[in-house]
Amino acid sequence: MHHAHIDKFAYQDSPIHRLDSRVKFIVVMVFTFLVISLPVDSFGILFCYAVWPFAILVIGRIPLKFAFKQVLIVSPFILFLALSYPFYERGLVRTEFGPWNFEISLGWVKCFTISGKFTVTVLALIALVSTTKFSNLLSGLGRLGFPKLLVMQLGFLYRYIFVLIDKAQHILMARSSRRMRSLGVKREVKVAASMAGSLLIRSIDSAEKINIAMQARGFSGTWKSVNEQKFRRGDLLFALVCGAFIMALHFIVRPFLI
Amino acid sequence: MHMLNELLSVPVAAGTLAVAGGGIAFICRKVGKVITSEKVALMGIMGAFVFAAQMVNIPLPGMPGTSGHMVGAVLLAIILGPHAAAIAITSVVMVQCLIFQDGGLLALGCNIINMGLVPCYLGYYVYKLISAGKSGSVRIYVAAMAACLVAIETGAILVPVEALLSGVLSVPFLTFLKTMVAVHLIIGLIEGVITVGVLGYLQQVRGDIFSFGAGGKIRMSKRKVMVTFLIFTVVIGAGLSLLASDKPDGLEWSYADRPDQMDFEPMVSNGDAKIEAVDKFQAEYSPMPDYSIRSSEEVSAAWTSFAGVVGAILTMGFIWGIARIIRSNDKKGFGN
Repeated sequence: MHHAHIDKFAYQDSPIHRLDSRVKFIVVMVFTFLVISLPVDSFGILFCYAVWPFAILVIGRIPLKFAFKQVLIVSPFILFLALSYPFYERGLVRTEFGPWNFEISLGWVKCFTISGKFTVTVLALIALVSTTKFSNLLSGLGRLGFPKLLVMQLGFLYRYIFVLIDKAQHILMARSSRRMRSLGVKREVKVAASMAGSLLIRSIDSAEKINIAMQARGFSGTWKSVNEQKFRRGDLLFALVCGAFIMALHFIVRPFLI
Repeated sequence: MHMLNELLSVPVAAGTLAVAGGGIAFICRKVGKVITSEKVALMGIMGAFVFAAQMVNIPLPGMPGTSGHMVGAVLLAIILGPHAAAIAITSVVMVQCLIFQDGGLLALGCNIINMGLVPCYLGYYVYKLISAGKSGSVRIYVAAMAACLVAIETGAILVPVEALLSGVLSVPFLTFLKTMVAVHLIIGLIEGVITVGVLGYLQQVRGDIFSFGAGGKIRMSKRKVMVTFLIFTVVIGAGLSLLASDKPDGLEWSYADRPDQMDFEPMVSNGDAKIEAVDKFQAEYSPMPDYSIRSSEEVSAAWTSFAGVVGAILTMGFIWGIARIIRSNDKKGFGN
């Protein structure tokens, strides 16, 4: 597995990709807060909120199929919870939706709203990370005041996840090509523990080598980046447009729909 | 288990974010003063190791087709110390959120507390307390096992508590709590067994990484594993039976009794007095929705709501169409 599979779209180019990562991060954060604070019977306005991540994804040329697939992959837990609502709240609610007029249990209303909120907030998150290179996002977070050590951690982590996952896959393949049948609990645990242990030792060894390599190149304890992002006019425009959209939804449209 | 945005209210989300952020900032400052550049690389790689170690799965005994894997927080805390482990696991949780969209952006605070801070510190100190710096094989086995169970259970218990504080649960709190505790007993057990195994392996192969001073060996004996499994099977069994006796399954209940429709004939009726008593208890227990207030409001909002949905869909279609046109122009113009 290579990271290109997960955030390949972050390396495209579009007006959204060129924006300052700090602006995007803050907008997504505010957006998520507002969506989460919506009351339970706000299915209509959720659609209006959905316009924003949709617009970012489309302008940023992220295939919608990819985005929705990603939503599906992370959804099992929330689906399980959402589907438990109809069992617990079964009082009927009279609902009118345009020309239709029907009774539906409150549990189903909540179920739809919760899954809708989930979809919208995950789409917003996907819109953020698939239009921003992770290194840019990190330098943005660093300049927003995240602790330097943590930002460096995230950088290392991102760089080496895929290297180590490759190693783990080699080990797993070796196990499955040698194991012809189930080995019984004790041996299985022992084999898995040895696999994790040898992976750990390899990781520690490679950390030593990386450290020596970094020392040789003059690592002083902080990262220095060549391309510092600057807050440009486009970023201001983006922030204003997003702010106007969110404010309009919150203060003008929302009172009508709820 | 990753906490989700949707299970939190804004004040709880903001509060946990503040607590987690403050905690991490404090730890970073504290560690940053003493850390060598060697440790910086090590911590980063250890975070990546956690991802890789989660791929190493073992088939669960007695449940064919299922497999479990380790989480790794307690192992890291034992090897790296709690501060460094907390930072490493926090970075893991953040990457899971940002790159894999596992757990929401607002729930990040909860996730850092549940899966990073609490397991690392609690697990480390439980381990320290029981092992007490000695290298006896049984002692370390018990210490690592207890540390994993306590750490993971506490993290799991925090999830329903945070959801309860947010007031978004319609599943009864106790049911949710018991489910989480039961599920995480199994997860904690797997975590414990593998953690002990890894510690034993490290001690045999690389004593310098994980040393107790005097050389001692942890061996996985079949009897120890079996006794542990036996004890926890009894505990889990007791927990599950409590869960089962308290309330009938939601699906079963929905067939048996419909309090919202008076003239509804029960499809399945059970003459058992105990079950009927439980049904009655549950009917009283389940919170009555306030739909009478809601219904009058929703009538007026019907058309605006409809307009909202239709308008939103039209807008999305419009944006998509415009982007489509611009894109095809780009292709013609620059040939990319």
